[in-house]
Amino acid sequence: MAFNNRLLRALSLADQEVLRAHLRWSELERGTVLVSPDEPISRVWFPESGLTSIIAMAGSDQGIEVGLAGRDGLVGMPLVLDADRTPHRIFMQVSGAAYSVDGDIFRAVLDDHASIRKLLLRYVQAYSTQTTYTALSNAMHTVEERLARWLLMSHDRQDDDEIPLTHDFLALMLGVRRPSVTIALHSLEGLGFIKATRGLILVRKREELEEFAGAGYGVPEAEYERLIGQLR
Amino acid sequence: MPRFFLHIDDGTQRIEDEEGSDLLDLAAAREEALGAARQLWAAAILAGQDIAARRFVITDGDGTVMDTVDMDEALPEKLARRLRL
Repeated sequence: MAFNNRLLRALSLADQEVLRAHLRWSELERGTVLVSPDEPISRVWFPESGLTSIIAMAGSDQGIEVGLAGRDGLVGMPLVLDADRTPHRIFMQVSGAAYSVDGDIFRAVLDDHASIRKLLLRYVQAYSTQTTYTALSNAMHTVEERLARWLLMSHDRQDDDEIPLTHDFLALMLGVRRPSVTIALHSLEGLGFIKATRGLILVRKREELEEFAGAGYGVPEAEYERLIGQLR
Repeated sequence: MPRFFLHIDDGTQRIEDEEGSDLLDLAAAREEALGAARQLWAAAILAGQDIAARRFVITDGDGTVMDTVDMDEALPEKLARRLRL
């Protein structure tokens, strides 16, 4: 059985077998919280489909997305880095499915298998590059450009061209009010790059969208491919 | 909580709010529109655009217009006054 998760896929067959015995399959609905702020992380998740959103919290009920992981990555990165918790909140933003492994078993596996640990550390480096470019984008780019980048990043992590996201969610992702999202979607639609219908965004012209997103998109993706392998 | 829709009208076309927001009352919907207008102004000024002709049209779920919020209502009073001259 082949994995869809790019990290599991990048492991050698022998390393895949080491983990396989401990993997549990779960379907995860939109909104499912995988990691709660400042609570010990008990499981590590390898998404096979769907999208998870890593949120930096501003108080207990506000925050902004600082990272995104789907089939390219894992959820529970602090355990790779010898930490047991994070101030971030991580939840399913697009429903999907994931394999998960118990946190203690995961740590023991990393201790015993350097090749698994090294691959996951390289992923942390790729993910860290993604977050630095999110910082760059938040400071330098317009809402339209950031939206384009964000849509491309989601599109990279799924098979079809329709991204199931509400304006409300996008507002949280981009840290703006909903009408700003409505207008930004309208602009991208006007350029013919996307088609937005209620709760669904269809990517129509991917290359043009990449060009429009500018410096925010491309470098982290290239870094991922250099360190791990094929992203899309 | 009732659902309010904040459509944006620029005189020639209307950008539909298809989803709407659950807000306490019309006053809260106006506040939401004003906050959004300030954000749109900030982006417009950085981009060198004039969005004074735009306004929010607040409707309920049936499309009945409850209120409108002009973009200049979100500006500091002194600036808004000059804009109206």
